[in-house]
Amino acid sequence: MKKILRFLRSMTFGMILLCGVLVCSFAGSMIPQQRDAMHYVNLYGGRAAMLILALRFDNVFSAPYFIALMAALCLNLLLCSVLRVRSLRGSADRLKDGAMAAKCTAVSAEQAEKLRAHFAAKRWRCEQRNGTALYTAHLAGYYGSFLTHLALLALLVVGGLVLAGAEVIDRTVMPGSSITLEDGARVSVQDFRIEDETGRLDFMSTVQITAPDGRQSEMTPIRVNEPLRYGVYKVYQQTYGTAGSVTVVNEATGGSERIALTEPAFLTLDGVNGVYFQMLYAGYTVDENGNFTLIGSTSGEYDDPVYDIRVIADGETTAVLAFPGDEMSVGGVAFRFEPPVSYPGLRIKRQSGALLGALYASFVLITAGLYMCFFLRPVCVAVGGDGYAVHSPKQQMGLQLEIEGLLEKEDHGQ
Amino acid sequence: MRDACFFGALMVYFAATAMQFAGVALKRTKLTAAAAKVFAAGLVLHTVYSVWRGVDASRLPLANQFEFASGFAWACAVLGVVLHLRMKQDWVLTVSAPAAFLVTSYAAFQPMEIKDLMPALRSVWFGLHIGSAAFSYAAFAIAGGLGVYYLVKLSRGADAASTAMRQADYMAYRMICLGFLLLTVVILSGAIWAEQAWSSWWSWDPKETWALITWIIYAIYLHQRLRLNWQGKRMAILAIISLVCVLFTFAGVNILLPGLHSYA
Ligand code: HEM
Repeated sequence: MKKILRFLRSMTFGMILLCGVLVCSFAGSMIPQQRDAMHYVNLYGGRAAMLILALRFDNVFSAPYFIALMAALCLNLLLCSVLRVRSLRGSADRLKDGAMAAKCTAVSAEQAEKLRAHFAAKRWRCEQRNGTALYTAHLAGYYGSFLTHLALLALLVVGGLVLAGAEVIDRTVMPGSSITLEDGARVSVQDFRIEDETGRLDFMSTVQITAPDGRQSEMTPIRVNEPLRYGVYKVYQQTYGTAGSVTVVNEATGGSERIALTEPAFLTLDGVNGVYFQMLYAGYTVDENGNFTLIGSTSGEYDDPVYDIRVIADGETTAVLAFPGDEMSVGGVAFRFEPPVSYPGLRIKRQSGALLGALYASFVLITAGLYMCFFLRPVCVAVGGDGYAVHSPKQQMGLQLEIEGLLEKEDHGQ
Repeated sequence: MRDACFFGALMVYFAATAMQFAGVALKRTKLTAAAAKVFAAGLVLHTVYSVWRGVDASRLPLANQFEFASGFAWACAVLGVVLHLRMKQDWVLTVSAPAAFLVTSYAAFQPMEIKDLMPALRSVWFGLHIGSAAFSYAAFAIAGGLGVYYLVKLSRGADAASTAMRQADYMAYRMICLGFLLLTVVILSGAIWAEQAWSSWWSWDPKETWALITWIIYAIYLHQRLRLNWQGKRMAILAIISLVCVLFTFAGVNILLPGLHSYA
């Protein structure tokens, strides 16, 4: 049992697991992910495709073995950091004992004095032991590796929960309208534009979130990199589209409505007569015989928009091209075709704020832990009357050079 | 005129490399001392170019493959000059001057025109994420260069236990520590940025995945040094292999594995 535990907490096991993650990541980056089987057959041939599918290399990062690998890495990190933390106690004393016992480099009394002055000027902590001055620095560095590994563990666990726990909804919302989410929260879009004041491409919606309890955010512009966060909700400017727009007026009541046309639709009052919207085209050309050729939008621009519609009246269907500004009356409804409108595709995410806080904390702690590991390297320099010794759990070549340089300078000075 | 500064820096880096190699081969300290000055002049020219370009573009000049490569080369030169001032060791220029020259040469083959920053890149994370990447890659490049330097010296009969060789080995390790810390900042700031821009922290996009692969390889390097007390030749070989991985993340991914980072 002890042997198993020792292996599970060992760096060897950790490195094996990291190699496993490495292999999976390599496969996941080289083989296109989450495509259908035929894609792999076309790309690699039947046998290789079978192998890829059998090994789940088509979706490596969700494969059970990858998840097991991550779980094992968490266990290894937990055991390695928790079981090693005890050994950190008393490390400062061990460092000083080590310096006292380390092999001494002989120096003159003046050089020893110079060293003392040097470390005092650096404000290293000093302790006297049997006539030897023990200068210590960067003791916090002992905790660097512990902090790094624990924060990595937190990152894997919290990161997993954040990825698994986020609810994501993609919706298109017409400017001037709103959508209601399942939990009762509402997202309203005031307007949307695709260029800023200077004409530079910049997709921006002005949105407001209303929480289920009725509390509301400000009307806030959102764009890529600047989502709106309110409570557990976050709204992103994700995509955009262009829709046809038509104003319809009920000729009997005078009631009017502006309708956005994103897909084929039959606009009718009585269910029989009306206008069937087929498609919005970005432009057209007319040949010498007056025949129209309609041009679809590939760039998102709609320079000369044309509505391809069918007018259905009295049992007859007529194909018509309508242009912005055109008006017609069919089945008791007056139609006025407007210039197309651009609308945003929003992504709405619900995520626990506490988890996000924990995730950010793990990021900061990993960075701080690594800094402590690499740049706060615990060290003790023992300076006696006739020599000095450097002791550290890590290589201290920089310090050795610094000391040698200092003593050399003194030699030259003499 | 602005681009002349860039090509001027390229030529000056080449001159510094040639002078340094000649100085080391002929054991002429005056030549290597002059090489250091020429290299510093190259850095000044490169800095002028980068600032000029940044002013013209009204943003940090790190937004596409040319600008990032130029930033990477500039970071190699900055690290080289700083290390040279601190350590006054021959290996510093022998490694950093060719690194700066080669990366600048790669940049010279990329399209150089200034383009407006695309919306996805207009973010407060832009400078931190890409600036850390430039310095992280530069630190890894110097570590890999030191690996090559170490192996060449060893093959020419240098004593692995000598101070100079131990120093080269140690400095490669220290450069990897610096690069690893910065690469961690790159990955974490990238995750925060991706969440702001695309709503997902991590998408297993090829650039992200290769940054992770590189990060893991360097984590293995650091642990092997601790676990098996590997030093010298093995570490030099591992530093070179890891650098190949960095270079693939830097350039190979853009060419072979396009994804969300295709503009880089
Ligand atoms: C997942 C990625 C990992 C990263 C980024 C990481 C990072 C680090 C760093 C930066 C150091 C200090 C290295 C140095 O000072 O040169 C370190 C040391 C160490 N790591 Fe890791 N580590 C990782 C995984 C693991 C795993 C899975 C284990 C498993 C046991 C492990 C065990 C250790 C041990 C025992 C030390 C030495 C402790 C010490 O010097 O006080 N690490 N690690």
